[in-house]
This record gives sequence, structure tokens and C-alpha cells, in this order.
Amino acid sequence: MSLDFSFIWTAFVSLLTAVPTTLKITAVSVLCGFAIGTAIALCRMYRVPVLHRIAAAYVTVIRGTPMLTHLLILYFAIPLIVDGLAERFDWAIRSAQIPMIGFAYLSFSITAGAYLSEVVRSGLLAVSKGQMEAAHAVGMTTPQALRRIVFPQAFAAALPNLTNSVIGMLHGSTLAFTVSVVDINAQAEIVATTNWKFFEAYLAAALLFWGMTVLIERLSALLERRVTRYSRGGVA
Amino acid sequence: MGAQFDIQYVFEYFVKLLPFIQISLFIVASSIVLGLLFGLLAALPRLYRVPVLQRLSQLYASFFRGTPILIQLFLLYYGLPEVLKLVHIDITRLPVLVFVILVYGLHSGAYVSEGIRAAVSAVDRGQVEAAYAVGMNGFQAFTRIVFPQAIAIAVPILANLVIATLKDTSLAFTLGVMELTGKSQTLATMSRHFIESYIALAAVYFILSIALERLFLLAERRMLKHERDTGKTEKVPLGKKWLKKRTNAAIALSKGGTGA
Repeated sequence: MSLDFSFIWTAFVSLLTAVPTTLKITAVSVLCGFAIGTAIALCRMYRVPVLHRIAAAYVTVIRGTPMLTHLLILYFAIPLIVDGLAERFDWAIRSAQIPMIGFAYLSFSITAGAYLSEVVRSGLLAVSKGQMEAAHAVGMTTPQALRRIVFPQAFAAALPNLTNSVIGMLHGSTLAFTVSVVDINAQAEIVATTNWKFFEAYLAAALLFWGMTVLIERLSALLERRVTRYSRGGVA
Repeated sequence: MGAQFDIQYVFEYFVKLLPFIQISLFIVASSIVLGLLFGLLAALPRLYRVPVLQRLSQLYASFFRGTPILIQLFLLYYGLPEVLKLVHIDITRLPVLVFVILVYGLHSGAYVSEGIRAAVSAVDRGQVEAAYAVGMNGFQAFTRIVFPQAIAIAVPILANLVIATLKDTSLAFTLGVMELTGKSQTLATMSRHFIESYIALAAVYFILSIALERLFLLAERRMLKHERDTGKTEKVPLGKKWLKKRTNAAIALSKGGTGA
């Protein structure tokens, strides 16, 4: 068996059908993760009595365990919980009705939340305290000051780390194959096993991921130039 | 799907998983050693701006950072034997563990090369100039002056990498290596107590990563001793801030380091 270059293209084309799934998992987990992460970062920064301890524990536990274990635990725990509750309260839903991709969404959002909370926290800490004080001085309330003054600057400061997290989640979405979601990785396996051309199929998948990663990096570089415009210095 | 939740199994599986820590740690250790080697080899051409090799190492770092480790595992596992068959080397009989370690080594090597670049760039340019001024050659200046300082800066980066690699080893089961994750799956298939088994697995990983984090914190304190000896009150916070600063390697490179 030798290398079949034309098959790399064939595999590449058939992998494209799975791109939306991968992107959906990435987008959902990053967006939900960002919301969770922001809430957690604020809890920890403002030391909300009980919540900040829980938040700290959540971040430590999630960051200390592999993403795969989160997915596997939830995959087996959720049906047990849902069915248990449904039986007790006579709900009509059963765990079998939950689509497979739902587990991926939920688990990866939880994972992303912990990682993104650190990103958001470091971004918020990068904004100098004087900005907040100045906002208070001109009469803004704390939520206003956060939204109008602190968040835009924190976003600019956190963008490189945020990009890394997005890429991390994109790469992490390959784990979804363990719960039988057909993402790019699973599609590559299907293409590989049906044609018995493993190397070509995975090469195509690697090239696809590489291209997507480079694209995200480029886009983030463009965005960075836009959002850091306020701090370019100089006079013009 | 599974049986009823029973906390007893968590403890039972936890104990049963313990012997498999060593194989996971073996993968981590050998791939980090390999990664340091690959990383140093890939970083040097970029630090010294060697014409063609610089591009190649850029490509290497970009590829291994730009593709998921899972894809890399499959790619090398299936691809390497075929590529080497073209030059008549048969490696199909090698144990899977060799492929796994090679992939993790290459993967971490890409991150190590970026880390080394950032760390070397963070060493003050004046240090190299001073080394040249006292008559050292380029090699001496690098090994005696820049490298020891860069190592201290690189410890937190390395710590992150080691912990990330530990968590990544959970994917080695896809190629059939019997490490922690693989074992936890076989344990569960016999009794159908999946959740308990995976909770035990998560606990093992958690304890390992916390332990590694503590160890690296100790190492970092030890290595930054030279920073603390001069001007005790002033230098400590300064040194820490300097560590936490995220250096953009591409920008920082022009400001210092051995090249440029």
C-alpha cells in the first residue's frame, strides 16, 4: 500500500460535511464558556461571599482534570439524573431523547468556562484601577463602568489568550467522537475505515484543522488591531 | 445504561487505578524529555535566524500547534510506518507506546520551542553583551549566561506544559494503550459502574496535577533564588510580575535574546 495523493483530496471533500458540527461545538462551548467564565471571574474578583469559594473550587477541579473525563462523567451521569428525576416527578422526557451533541455542548461549555474564567480574570486585572475610579468619578454606576469602560479594554488585553482558548476548544471538540458525534475527527475515521486509507484521511483532517487554526489566528490578529486602536500611542 | 450509583465503587476503582499512574507518568516524562530535545532543536534555528531551517521549524511548530493531538496520534500511528516503508524501514512491529510517546514528544516540542523563544527573549540583551564583553564566544554566552536565566523563566511555562501533557495522555487509550483512562474504561465495562470509574479517574488526574503544580512551584522558587538575594524587599514582587508577564515571542524577540 502506497500513498494515494488524489484520495487526500477526496477525503478532504467528504470531511467538509462535518465542519459545521465541529464549528457548532466550538462556538457553543466558547460562547457558553465565556458567559460562565465572566460570571466566575466577577464572583472571584468581587469576592462574593460563598460563591467565590465555589467558583475557585470549580476552576481548580476542571483545570486539574482532562476534558475527556468531564465528557465521560456527564455522558453517564446526566441520563441517570434525568431519568431519576423524571420517574419521581412523572416527567415525559427521558434521557434517550437528549441528542448526543447536547452532551458535547454541555460538557465542553463547562470545561471552557473554567479556562475562560482565568482568561477573563487576567484581562480584567490588566485594566488599571484608575479607569474604574474615573468612571465612578464621572457618575457611572459599577455595572455601567464595567460595561462601557472596563470590558472593552479587558477584551483587548485578553484577546491573545482568548484566541488560544478558542483554538484549544476547536482542537478539544475532536473528543466528541467518544459520544458518537460525527465531527471532523469521527468523519475522518469513517472515511478511513470505509476506504482502508487511514493515513490519507487523517492527513486531510490534519490539514483541515491546520487551516482553520491559521484562519482563526489571522482573524484574531485583525481583530486585535481593531480593538487595541485606543492604545496605539503617538499623536496622530 | 449503567448500574445505580454506588460510592463504594469510586474508592475501589481509585485503588485499582493507582498502579496505572506510573504508565501515564512514564508517557508524560519520556515525551517531555523528547519534547525538550525537539523544542531546543526547533528553537535554535529561529533564535539564530538560520535561513532555511528557520522556516522549517516555524512550519513544525505551526503544524503541531495547529492540529488536535488526537488527529496527530492517528496520523503518525498510521502514517509513519507507511512513510518509512518508502525508504524500506519496517516499524510496524514497534509497540504502540513508542508512537504515543513520539507524538506527545513532537506535540510538546512545538510548545517547548515557543516557550524557549519567549524565555530567551525575556533575558536582558545586556546579559549577552556583558558576556561578549568579558570575552565569551557565542556558545559560551548561551550556555553559561542566557540558558540558566532562561530556564528559570521557562519553569512556569514548562509546568503548564507538563500538566497539559498529563491531561492529554488521557487520549492515548484511543490507540489501545493501557494507561489510566484505558484502564478506567475496562474496569467499568465489567461492572457497568461507569460514572464511579470515571469519577475515580478524574480524582487521580486531579491529585496528579495538583502534586505536579506544587512541585514546579517549589522548583521555581529554588531557581529564582538569584533574583531574591539582591535587594530583598524590592526584587521579590518585581521578579514575580516579570514572570507573569506574557511575552509576545514575535515582538519580544527583536528586543533581546541571543539572536537579532
